[in-house]
Amino acid sequence: MSAVRCAGALSSLALLAACASEPEARAPADPGQAAYAANCLACHQADGRGVPGFQPPLVGSAWVHGDPKALAAFVLTGGFSSVTRKESASENVMPPFTQLDDATLATILSYVRAKFGENSGPVSAEEVTAARTLLPPAH
Amino acid sequence: MTIARVALFLLVFAPGLSAFAAENDGLVLPKGFTVTVVHDGVGLARHIAIRDNGDIYVTTHQFPFLGFDPAKRIGVVALRDTNGDHKADIVQSFGDNDGTGIAIYQGMLYVSDDVGVYRYHFDGNELIPKQPKETVISGFPLERTHADKTFTFDDDGHIYVNVGGPSNSCQQQDRAPGSMGQNPCPLLEHYGGIWRFDANRLGQTPKDGAHYATGMRNTIALKWNKDANALYATIHGRDQLDTIFPKLFTAEDNAERVAEEFHRIVEGGNYGWPYAYYDTRLKARIIAPEYGGDGKKRAERGKYLDPLIAFPAHWAPNDLLFYQGANFPAAYRGGAFIAFHGSWNRAPVAQAGYRVVFVPMKKGLPAGQWQTFADNFTGGPLADNNPRNARSRPVGLALDAEGALYIVDSVRGRIWRVTYAGS
Repeated sequence: MSAVRCAGALSSLALLAACASEPEARAPADPGQAAYAANCLACHQADGRGVPGFQPPLVGSAWVHGDPKALAAFVLTGGFSSVTRKESASENVMPPFTQLDDATLATILSYVRAKFGENSGPVSAEEVTAARTLLPPAH
Repeated sequence: MTIARVALFLLVFAPGLSAFAAENDGLVLPKGFTVTVVHDGVGLARHIAIRDNGDIYVTTHQFPFLGFDPAKRIGVVALRDTNGDHKADIVQSFGDNDGTGIAIYQGMLYVSDDVGVYRYHFDGNELIPKQPKETVISGFPLERTHADKTFTFDDDGHIYVNVGGPSNSCQQQDRAPGSMGQNPCPLLEHYGGIWRFDANRLGQTPKDGAHYATGMRNTIALKWNKDANALYATIHGRDQLDTIFPKLFTAEDNAERVAEEFHRIVEGGNYGWPYAYYDTRLKARIIAPEYGGDGKKRAERGKYLDPLIAFPAHWAPNDLLFYQGANFPAAYRGGAFIAFHGSWNRAPVAQAGYRVVFVPMKKGLPAGQWQTFADNFTGGPLADNNPRNARSRPVGLALDAEGALYIVDSVRGRIWRVTYAGS
């Protein structure tokens, strides 16, 4: 359903519900947005605000705002899994995203910083490469 | 959406939406039912129980991983109506219980948190128990997910406790793309099922429990059905088919295929988790991709039990109640009410659930199509398709002595009392 048709049809609450039922119908133009949709959206949601109790918000996250290499290393490592770590603010632990190539992860992180990180600046593939060297060897 | 589908949508759903006004506090119910707001909101509520004298008790949960602060524990909230209008006049909280399970059993108040089950005695008509709580079961390991130790009682002195699996699908790395399942899943020894304990013996630990049923990912809603003299439960199906196995599943598969399951629980029964899930479209147990499944391969016939009803995926059934009251019409007697908390793992497809469903039942078996009983908890379409924007989400159910149905919401802890006033 197009946005135009939706807007024209808002004369009833029933149609408002119908419009809302297909929130992601438009194809994302930004490759970072597409990769975010494939890898991150299920948990952090389209609005980047996470799900209370389950997955933390990206909006307002110190990791998202912070050093690009630290952010890349965090996503490559995954979230904290210990039940006592207060930094991890939700039930579910982010898995490591080592399977993403540097360029793809860079486009995702750049999209996240532009959309949810108050334009804290893009992340380059080189910064992801550098972050990868910081990780402990795979076990 | 085509014009034809819009027209069909209007035809089917518009009549049900006519009650959108503030009538019934914005909830949409079948004709003849009315809603009283018992309390505007008691906090982060979970489940609810009602004493014979009408006093209401609600558990609250601060969710440790949301920056848990022990000083912020609300404990159990007690509510009393003193003038007969069914609105709470006295509201007090007591104790330090931070969890979900709650029920009245033999005049005592049983509550649970993520690691144990406890109980309070009442001295006569007191609202707040003066005696300290007793520990019925303790020592469940603290887990960060699927940790609610919800429970129910049979008529023979047993308490049945849900011990959820602290994992989505027992992968080597939880929720990681492509990570395969641990085989056999070691969690099943101590988690992912229901354990039966003595309802009256204090000081029990998990090893005192009898392993009653297995293969259950998370069974927040469980209830003894007196009509059938059997345990019933709903199981939360697994998440993230598509993000873990993107070559095998689409986002739409993930949003629609894995059932939330309603079961009559058989002692010794195996309900499939994490090896298999119940597919709402194939209407069969399908081998999980973590265990070699491809979205089509069926589990060995008879190995895992099939649900009585396969509810839509990710709706999150969080409480179950069999209607034994006298207030509602006869068709409701013995039927099941299920509170669906609503989804998070349907995105990018529209989130869904967020309602109370009724299942007509006779002699312990569904006797007709299930129907939505109470709806519009979210207050209209969900902004940004994010559950955090729901106005309210049903999480707990209870009946009072008059047969009124109570529904409690998790967002603000709003409490509604639903009665039938006639057609």
